[in-house]
Amino acid sequence: MKLRVKKIRDGMHPSETVVAIPTSEGDERLTVDKNALGENTTLEIGWPLRQKDNLVLIELPRETQSGAWRVWVPRDALEESMAAA
Amino acid sequence: MILTDREIQIGIERGSILIEPRPLEVAYSSTSVDLTLDPIITELIQKKSAIKKVIDPTDPDFDAEENMAEVSKIHDISGTYYDIPPNNLHLGWTAERVDLRHDPKLAARVEGKSSLARLGLAVHMTAPTIHAGFNGRIRWEIVNFGTMPIRVRPGMRICQLVFEQTLGTPQKGYHGQFVNQTVQPITKKT
Repeated sequence: MKLRVKKIRDGMHPSETVVAIPTSEGDERLTVDKNALGENTTLEIGWPLRQKDNLVLIELPRETQSGAWRVWVPRDALEESMAAA
Repeated sequence: MILTDREIQIGIERGSILIEPRPLEVAYSSTSVDLTLDPIITELIQKKSAIKKVIDPTDPDFDAEENMAEVSKIHDISGTYYDIPPNNLHLGWTAERVDLRHDPKLAARVEGKSSLARLGLAVHMTAPTIHAGFNGRIRWEIVNFGTMPIRVRPGMRICQLVFEQTLGTPQKGYHGQFVNQTVQPITKKT
């Protein structure tokens, strides 16, 4: 499953970029390897863990700048449909 | 369960572990593989000023990359060396990119090398875990706890990576377990 993210800026290393993760409580900043970003600026996040209403709980591949690993994100931020899962 | 050198190499051959560029034969020990230093090193600088600053990671506007850039200096030591002074935090990266996305039951720990530790060089501070699903270069928090500068060069083996197989599959490794479920613990495997 892929999560659509938005590039914010380059990271501290040339191989890295900082992206915004759209969570239910606002954007979280996450530093990732540029190679980890797929087409359409997506991030592979494995399979979601829970769902409620229009939100899904996912685990990010790295810890966000605020220290979060698991965040609730809008269901429509996922690249592949839940039904396909 | 810690993977042996043989199991790490089998994992690389099968594609469940990706390390680019591939480690040399001499980089392995029985239960780890050494990774090397990338030429980019970031030095945190303490500017002398009467105006004191404080880092507040709980501030909603805190942006680690942006804020740290304000108080750091990037060194590209390609083809040369760098002397890490005592008691000053530096950030460094592995020259290798590590990708653990292909096996949800694999995690790793980055550890220092005893030969460098004995000189006072620490390469991580309290955060050695490389979680299942990691993809990218490993970032180090480098501190020289010795009394003299320690010279480092790009490509030198500076840390070791210990691979561990998890007991069970992490929740995010389960395919489609949550579909049409409400919020409740996942208890069975598809």
